[in-house]
Amino acid sequence: MEKYIDDFADAVITQMKTLPKDEIAKAISIIESVYERDGRIYVFGNGGSMAMATHWVSDFNKTVFSHNLDSKIKRFQAIRLPSTESEITAWANDVGFDMIFAGPLQNYIQEADCLIAISSSGNSPNIIKAVELAKSHHVPVIGISGFSGGKLNELADAKIVVKTEPGAYTVVESVHNAILHLLTSYFQDYFDYIVEKKKND
Amino acid sequence: MIITRAPLRISFVGGGTDIKEFYSRYPGRVLSTSIDKFVYIVSHSGYSDSFILKYSQTEVVENVQDISHDRFKAGLVSHGIEKGIELASFSDLSSGTGLGSSSSFTVALVKSLHALKGKKINKETAARESCELEIDTLGHPIGKQDQYASAYGGLNVITFNTDNTVTVDPVHLDYKLRASFENHMMLFFTGITRSANTVLDDQKTKIDDNFETYKKMSDSVILFKEKLLAADFKGLADMLHEGWVMKKTLAKNITNSNMDVLYEAAIVSGAWGGKLLGAGGGGCLLFMAPLEKQNDIQISLEQKAKELSLGGFKRVKFGMTSSGVDILFNTSNTL
Repeated sequence: MEKYIDDFADAVITQMKTLPKDEIAKAISIIESVYERDGRIYVFGNGGSMAMATHWVSDFNKTVFSHNLDSKIKRFQAIRLPSTESEITAWANDVGFDMIFAGPLQNYIQEADCLIAISSSGNSPNIIKAVELAKSHHVPVIGISGFSGGKLNELADAKIVVKTEPGAYTVVESVHNAILHLLTSYFQDYFDYIVEKKKND
Repeated sequence: MIITRAPLRISFVGGGTDIKEFYSRYPGRVLSTSIDKFVYIVSHSGYSDSFILKYSQTEVVENVQDISHDRFKAGLVSHGIEKGIELASFSDLSSGTGLGSSSSFTVALVKSLHALKGKKINKETAARESCELEIDTLGHPIGKQDQYASAYGGLNVITFNTDNTVTVDPVHLDYKLRASFENHMMLFFTGITRSANTVLDDQKTKIDDNFETYKKMSDSVILFKEKLLAADFKGLADMLHEGWVMKKTLAKNITNSNMDVLYEAAIVSGAWGGKLLGAGGGGCLLFMAPLEKQNDIQISLEQKAKELSLGGFKRVKFGMTSSGVDILFNTSNTL
């Protein structure tokens, strides 16, 4: 049993030690520029990736500011796509499953915004539809993918790919979650600093 | 109604190597950042039969050829925009400060004119078309760094390739390093505004004589980036100073006695080094200085400016930003 645990831990650690740092830095820069221009961040994925997207939204809409809940500083506007379960079934049932993200996104999307698309294969058709919609609006896309990155990695502006054998979902999703928490952690520190600086001005 | 905005920029090293006479023979490079000062363009169509333009002056004309503001005119002509349009510009700082505001204006205008026709353009298109408008259509003797810095936004190494393409490579600083970099900089508007064109005209004719100097300026961008990532602010200041000394040799009128007096005063009061921003002859002075000397430097420069009767002299507080040209507001109903 211990070996099994070690092997899984090793697989995750190997990935964690070779994170695409430059692409993560690009993602941080994209999120900063969206914040500067009061844009919104749309985050989405299928299955476990959708659960991570939901978790990330609650982090970005609250945890990032949790040390400064009384401050009047401008906040993030993170939105999980779609924002209601009803929209998923409405689009899937009436139009097709490949439109469950792009359909609702079309209602919101503005040039000031950005996307975070999470897909282990990087090839889910519904993810790619939404990414293509964003690209047609020149909205920057942060692609968080696994395996060989797929089409998502080709299209994304920040290409965060956790390179593994095809099908290594558990390792890929574990690392995805760490990357998403890295973004949360960075911006929590960033806002602590901004609030402190405002106090001293 | 459409509102666009494009940021001003601070150029640290490599300015001047973005001129075609140089980069067609050796790659030009500039390291610059956008800042939290913007030029805004508001466009509105429909209520009048004239062209109405509002900037430091107001123009109401019937024929596009009668517009006296050259960039408004060139933009409207190239987009084939008919009468019945009202355009207004607003700026966080006056023009002629050496912060690239003329090109910020053009970039915001190009973005706006496309949006008026329901078209969204990417940063590269906004930058390239702004260069075409200013350099090819209007024949201004300027380079391409300002249009790219403003359209893309952020801290970048911008490379002007010999094949006429431009590459923009972001330099990613975490917020702590960026804040520390910002805190070590001091920006002063000298109160003297000038047009870049006279200085640049002289500079362009002397590219051959100064080719080796330009090469050094272009190559210095790589070392500047290394020192920045290593948080060697004193080293950066030394490089700014060297760049400024090199630049002064490139054309007459890049500096004048007022600039030199102010620069010296800052160094005497403890600044590590600095440079004049923009083509020369006026504009802003940028210094890098240890935090504990900044108060002395500011007092000393304000005193000197008073002695030189520079009425508009002031310190400009700024922050570095990540965003470039943006549509902030658009009432058209298209998805």
